[in-house]
Amino acid sequence: MPLDITLYGIQMPTLLPIFVIVAILQVTVDSIIAETGLYRHVWHPGLFKVALFVCFFTLPCLYIYH
Amino acid sequence: MYLSKVVPTSQSFAIAIKNTFEEWLVKDAPTLIYMAKATIAALLAMFVSMTLTLADPRTAMFTTFIVMQPQSGLVFSKSYYRVLGTVAGVIVSLLMIGAFAQEPKWFIAFFAIWIGITTAAGVKYRNFQSYGFVLAGYTLCIVALPVIEQPMEIFQIATSRFSEVMVGILCATVVSEVIFPRKLSDSLLSSERERFENVFASLGNISSLFGAQDTKDVDVVKFSSGVVGVHAIAVNSAFESATDKRNRLYLEQLNLEFMHLSTTFHSLKNIIRDIELRASTSTVDALKELYTPFAKVLQSIPKLDDAGFVTMLSQLKELKESTHSQVPINLKSDEYDAFNSAAYLVTRVVEEYFIYANSYYAYIKLKSSGKVSKELTRVVRFKTHTDNVLVALAALRGSGVLLVTMAFWLLSGWKYGTLTITMSVVIGLLIGTLPRPLDAVMNFLKGAVSAAFVAALYDFYIVPEYTTDVYTLGLVIIPVFAFVGWMTTKPKWSGFSLGFVFLFFSQSSFDLYYKIDPTTFMETTIASLLGVSFAGAAYILVNFWSCSLSQRRVSKVLREQIVYICNAPLNLQRGSLESLGRDMIQQFSTQGRLNNRSSRLVYEWLLTTLEIGGAIMRIRKNLNRLEAECKLVDQTLEAIKEYFQTPTEALKQTLLDSLESTIKSLHVKKKEEIHIIAQLSLIKTILLSRVSIPVFKEASCR
Repeated sequence: MPLDITLYGIQMPTLLPIFVIVAILQVTVDSIIAETGLYRHVWHPGLFKVALFVCFFTLPCLYIYH
Repeated sequence: MYLSKVVPTSQSFAIAIKNTFEEWLVKDAPTLIYMAKATIAALLAMFVSMTLTLADPRTAMFTTFIVMQPQSGLVFSKSYYRVLGTVAGVIVSLLMIGAFAQEPKWFIAFFAIWIGITTAAGVKYRNFQSYGFVLAGYTLCIVALPVIEQPMEIFQIATSRFSEVMVGILCATVVSEVIFPRKLSDSLLSSERERFENVFASLGNISSLFGAQDTKDVDVVKFSSGVVGVHAIAVNSAFESATDKRNRLYLEQLNLEFMHLSTTFHSLKNIIRDIELRASTSTVDALKELYTPFAKVLQSIPKLDDAGFVTMLSQLKELKESTHSQVPINLKSDEYDAFNSAAYLVTRVVEEYFIYANSYYAYIKLKSSGKVSKELTRVVRFKTHTDNVLVALAALRGSGVLLVTMAFWLLSGWKYGTLTITMSVVIGLLIGTLPRPLDAVMNFLKGAVSAAFVAALYDFYIVPEYTTDVYTLGLVIIPVFAFVGWMTTKPKWSGFSLGFVFLFFSQSSFDLYYKIDPTTFMETTIASLLGVSFAGAAYILVNFWSCSLSQRRVSKVLREQIVYICNAPLNLQRGSLESLGRDMIQQFSTQGRLNNRSSRLVYEWLLTTLEIGGAIMRIRKNLNRLEAECKLVDQTLEAIKEYFQTPTEALKQTLLDSLESTIKSLHVKKKEEIHIIAQLSLIKTILLSRVSIPVFKEASCR
């Protein structure tokens, strides 16, 4: 994967579209977890959410920068 | 002997220390934590954006301070609207530069229109939604203006601006969610508890209704803003977590029921005050007798715990059924009507308190055990009303300032004229949504000037002298961040801190490499401060709003409400009327230049409008249920409508006569008719009493 991509003639870092996709994914997963009540069993929901996001975001990033 | 003296003192000393510590924990610790959070978020934003080599790390740091709030829900919601606003602004910039880069006239015209639209929307919408519009407006200045000479750079600036804002928002949200998170729903619980306990105490106290009253102690704005504010917080808590949906429904319901109860209570208070002045003491005593059992029930509850609630609710239920039958009393015409309507209001207070207490108890139970004891089906939508003239005025001001500063830029040909434009547009947008804009602009200017000095100190002494890399830069900047964080916790300083933040981050040299020189610094500072002055001048010049104009507008809207109710569909809900009225009053008291006396007057208008409107609705519903036609009642409703369309003395007399004859003509046989009589006498009492109805009076503005 390249570090920069061109979208509709605009050059931007690949991280930007990845971020948008991951953000959407995060919102979906977050609402699913909240619906099922999983957050009640988590000590620090905020930290959990952040960690989840870091996991989601790092995976494609590692792939790009590898 | 010596020892025996010392021991108790040291013990009390320990208790004193413990108390002090607890007080510190409640009062000062949150501020300190907040300062730490804001500082950490800003530093994080700086490190991240410098590591990613974004063009302007200051935007990211600036963003963290703008979206940082004590509670996470508020941070999320403000961030959300900031993202939306930035995206809208960036897209419009791309479109404008694409379409009009070569045609200055069109460019300026559309620029002015866009700023006008966003300013108007900023005033029209509430809370952070309005902030989103503000941002959509000024992002255009930030993105489009600097590249007007080299249009092809717009994509560069647009993506970097977007990334910087995103980095700032992420840092702020992560820090506020991870480090000592404070939930909105918790603070909502405590404010709800406080509110309920206040209601409980004041309803249990008979003298709060009867007897000499200090008219000044009713804090009118606070009263309305309580309801509007709780609604706003409840809306924002939606951003915290999806699980709290049921909680939110409860809060909306409680807010609505509190609103009803407080309206009834204050109307009752007004009418009793009037009766005390006009009628005999026996009437007042009879009313007291009617109210006392209710107050006694409340007084007999020692503590609002589980058992207390159960006994209170069951006693109230009994009381509610018995109060209905205690009304008949033989008095003469006017006094009878006054008593009748007051008695009706007493039963309503009891009823509404019962409903409110029931919901509150259910809410507390839900909070403590997660059990749902009362399922909520629907909630009335919270309606808002914004005066179109206020909105138009704001739009005019926004576009006007833009055109003037644009002319200044074009005529002077000054390189930094764009900064003047940006600053004045920012203020026009941002401060237009705050109460008392002129003071806010002055404070903004003060903040901006002090920020210029601090920025100069950093740019020309501290940064070149003490920093070698991003870590030392972060170290030396901590005091300023902490100071800004502290300032933002003080509502009194909001204008000042805004000015400080804006100018400090535009003038400081926290860039990837050191690139500032004294001449540029001076020029950009002067340009920004000029922008502030232009905006301030606009607030002084474009401001033909006055107290009497506000009163006229409010009375017109309220009267229109009554006229509307006369013809509205029968399923119209009381809550939507009340929320609309309160929201409007709140807005006029903050932006419409009402003095204390007239805001009290306007508040009385609201109460009478709500009462009359409610009475009309109930009359119409009962008429509907009553199978036979009732011509006189219809005529009376028509008379009410006519009077509120054009309030003249002659029409008032016609209305009163019509009320009188209708009340006499109705028989006290059917349940519906009794209800109608009670409502008609309520309207009559309000019209006859000294309590004002929404008709404009010049005198109260002087």
